[in-house]
Amino acid sequence: MSAGRPVQRWLTGMAFLLPSILGFCAFTLVPLVLSFAMAFTDWDILRHNIFHHAPVKFVGLENFIRMFHDPQFWRDFGNTFFLMLGLPFAIAGSLVAALLLTRTGRRRAAVGPALVLATLTLVASGLVLLIGGMPEPAVWFLFGTLAATVLVAGVLTGGTLYRTLFYLPNFTAGVATFVLWKKLYNPHSGPINLALAPVLDGVAAGLRAAPHAWAVGLPAVCGGLGLLIIAWQARRLRSEDTDSGPVATAAGALVPAVPLACGALWLGSSAAVAVGVAVLGCGVVATVAWRRPRRYGPPLEAAAGLGTEFGLALVLVPLLTLLAAGVALGASLPVLARTGFEPPSWLGDYGWAKPALMLMALWAAIGSNNMILYLAGLSSIPVELYEAADMDGASPSQRFWHITWPLLAPVTLLISIMGLINGLQGGFEMARAMTSGGPAGATTTLSYFIFIEGFETGRLGYASAVAWFLFVLVFVLSFVNFRFGNRHAND
Amino acid sequence: MKRTFLIALCVLTVASVALVLTLPGHQGTAPVLFWVTQNDPVKRETIAVFGQWLAQQGLPPVEIRIDNTGQVKNGTTGEPKALIQGASGMGGDLIDVYLNQMELFQATGMLTDVTDMAREDGFDFGRTYPAVRSDFVIEDRQYGFPRNVDVTMCWVNRDTFARYGIPLPPHRWTIREFEELGRRFIAAANPPGSRHRVFFLNRVWPPTLRRSLGLSTFNETLTRCTLDDPRNVEVLNLLYRWTVEERLLPTHAEQEALAADATGWDSSFSLFASGRFAIIYEGLWALIRLRPKGDLHLAAVEPFNGGFPNTEFGTGAVAIYAGTRHPAEARQFLRFLASEPFNLLIARSSDSLPPLPAYAKTDAYRRPPGHAGEAEVKDAFAEAGRDIGLAQSKSPFVLPSITFRIDTEAIEEVLAGRLSAAEAARRTTERINAEIELRVRRDPELARLYAERLAIQRQIEARRAAGRPVPAAWLFDPFHLAYYRAHGWVEPEVKP
Repeated sequence: MSAGRPVQRWLTGMAFLLPSILGFCAFTLVPLVLSFAMAFTDWDILRHNIFHHAPVKFVGLENFIRMFHDPQFWRDFGNTFFLMLGLPFAIAGSLVAALLLTRTGRRRAAVGPALVLATLTLVASGLVLLIGGMPEPAVWFLFGTLAATVLVAGVLTGGTLYRTLFYLPNFTAGVATFVLWKKLYNPHSGPINLALAPVLDGVAAGLRAAPHAWAVGLPAVCGGLGLLIIAWQARRLRSEDTDSGPVATAAGALVPAVPLACGALWLGSSAAVAVGVAVLGCGVVATVAWRRPRRYGPPLEAAAGLGTEFGLALVLVPLLTLLAAGVALGASLPVLARTGFEPPSWLGDYGWAKPALMLMALWAAIGSNNMILYLAGLSSIPVELYEAADMDGASPSQRFWHITWPLLAPVTLLISIMGLINGLQGGFEMARAMTSGGPAGATTTLSYFIFIEGFETGRLGYASAVAWFLFVLVFVLSFVNFRFGNRHAND
Repeated sequence: MKRTFLIALCVLTVASVALVLTLPGHQGTAPVLFWVTQNDPVKRETIAVFGQWLAQQGLPPVEIRIDNTGQVKNGTTGEPKALIQGASGMGGDLIDVYLNQMELFQATGMLTDVTDMAREDGFDFGRTYPAVRSDFVIEDRQYGFPRNVDVTMCWVNRDTFARYGIPLPPHRWTIREFEELGRRFIAAANPPGSRHRVFFLNRVWPPTLRRSLGLSTFNETLTRCTLDDPRNVEVLNLLYRWTVEERLLPTHAEQEALAADATGWDSSFSLFASGRFAIIYEGLWALIRLRPKGDLHLAAVEPFNGGFPNTEFGTGAVAIYAGTRHPAEARQFLRFLASEPFNLLIARSSDSLPPLPAYAKTDAYRRPPGHAGEAEVKDAFAEAGRDIGLAQSKSPFVLPSITFRIDTEAIEEVLAGRLSAAEAARRTTERINAEIELRVRRDPELARLYAERLAIQRQIEARRAAGRPVPAAWLFDPFHLAYYRAHGWVEPEVKP
């Protein structure tokens, strides 16, 4: 920049900045201040607009008090948090995608097997189409062809194709994606249900053919597998090589809580829930007391290893819940199979609507900026650490848990905070385009609630109050996350 | 850098000026009116005929452009875009207003009161069907004129009934007859072991069903919601049975899914034509969608009833935006809606009943060119509009869009098995009454009207308790007025 008098330089700089400052003031700052003021008034678009000039009344905290007494607000608040349960899975998905996409060096060796696999997929899909005719097998054929193409092209071009494919959701317009998923979820003609229908028919036929074997065998197998996993978890937590402190150990011991509670609920026994909670409490205490002292290094901090336990819980909880479902519902499956199984009404069933939206959000989140951040994080981990680990004979799992995961902690923290903010503020476009907030308000989030109150019923004062409550919530949660998460991320 | 910045600024300034100069208002001499409506063939033809009509009347030309980005998409919920644009001074000159929007838009003050000009120019509410008056007249003030007048009936595909050997429903039928025929049809069309793919009816309109049992959403003076009534519980139970247990109707999700298969409502018509819906519950405009589906053998019967035959009767009115810069031209357009060329256009198109009842008797309506065989169904619609059509119950103390949302949520909760019918009825009533209370508390003008209406309500109840008739002027709810008249509970009306 040319030298000049300070005032002149300042004016020149301001001239460049002015459009941005004006835009910020007009579209961000002024509305922000106005909305804060509106939150304490009875501003109603029906009475306060350019045609009606009724005096705006200051109502103090009335809007906030009303909000806390509004059942719809609490329902939508609950919906928002429920939908955010998908956040850990989205983070895990992004990490897995990033890890997979960094494995590009072995493509040459994979060409042969990939070609064989792709050919088999294509032939199998073609056979299904030939035998079954249209249209359901055609969906299988479509999926098969797509899978084979992606497999071959990906292996031939290296990671570039996969990286592009995974990032696709991020540069596809939101509404277009929602419309596409709405078509996919269509209970009658959607590819998901068209693919599920023959599978469910086959399962139902199998159950009808050997009902007793299934009624006894499935719960037994699921129960056995579940116990094995719980035993493995307990052994791991007790290990002398563990990096988990007492709090992390307790958290790890709590992993079977959700599956146990679900199993008890499905069995319809409140007593079972109580017994489960009691057993679990004892289990946590016992595991912490039972754990062996660490063999090497200084004693661990209480909260050390929380991240590892959290990551592992993401895998174990769904798996154990699935097995618990096998135990609880296995015996009744043959009875249910008599009338056949219907694929779910994804967006129309109260129970399925939220998981369906979460599934779609998960798909979008896996290939989002989170994946890019993880890719960048992975590239910054020194290769020497992995080489040293290899020389010490570390397994891939040990390499991940002791090198990759701890060094990615700052990235994970950033992604968690951003995910939290987006999760609390989001859900509007998705619900508006796909479900209109239904069925029975199952997918109405807080942001949708604000929209309805503000722009469908015109109560801008009340809508502003809810928006500011949401801001405080985002701020507090982000602060807590940053404050406490940052400490462990930088350990 | 400074030069680049200055050049960019100059280019943007010149481009902005060029844009302003090329806006429609700056081109040509004819004033340009923006009409917030759907961009469909009937609207485009309306604009063309309006141009011809202006020329015939010796009036200066007016250019009308359709603005379908802020269109009111359906009559069930509020339309935020049109509302926000209108309330902030950026509305279209002419706005299509359907069912539930009128109260919302009128309350903001964004619609012109056309009562006096309508009387002077001959498009006052007396010229159209009395039953739809409440759709564009609020507190005796007129805010538009009907562009269409729609009755909803049950369209029957005779071929589908014949295919399964099921007799056709009678023109007037009861809930019991509906259930009996429906069960037979479903059993025949969905044999055991197959997936349920064929439905008897596409949808039910709960208010119509409630009214058929003698119940309205509101009381006579529209001051309280009255859905915590055993008749509403019965309706909710019936909906659950028909939708979830007997599967006579698709669930809401299935309706949505079927609609997603094609654009908008088109899927219903395709499925009706192909026999997957035996009956569809739609307006006369369905003919426009059904004609291209082939040579269908159609009949139109009344919605089944629980003792009091009735059906939806509503209007899509055109209103003048209060902030329009062309009020005189917009007024001409409303005048045109009450003219012969426009009514003959609507009659020919089958978009709805023509706004002026007399045109429902013309050949243009009954036997339009190329569709001479439609007279029977057309007459059925005209007859229903005359005899059993009722406008929606809309309270001035709560926005219809809020009432609709609360009612819909309660029905969905019942269908999802999350609430019992009795609990849903109680909650719906409590929520709607709480909304009324809130709005009345915050609006002093509304509070005064509410107090007046409450006084009238007390008088009605006293008279009813004493077995005495009440004056028709006390009955603000269109259903109650018709119901009281049908039962002889109204004082004899003295005609001037």
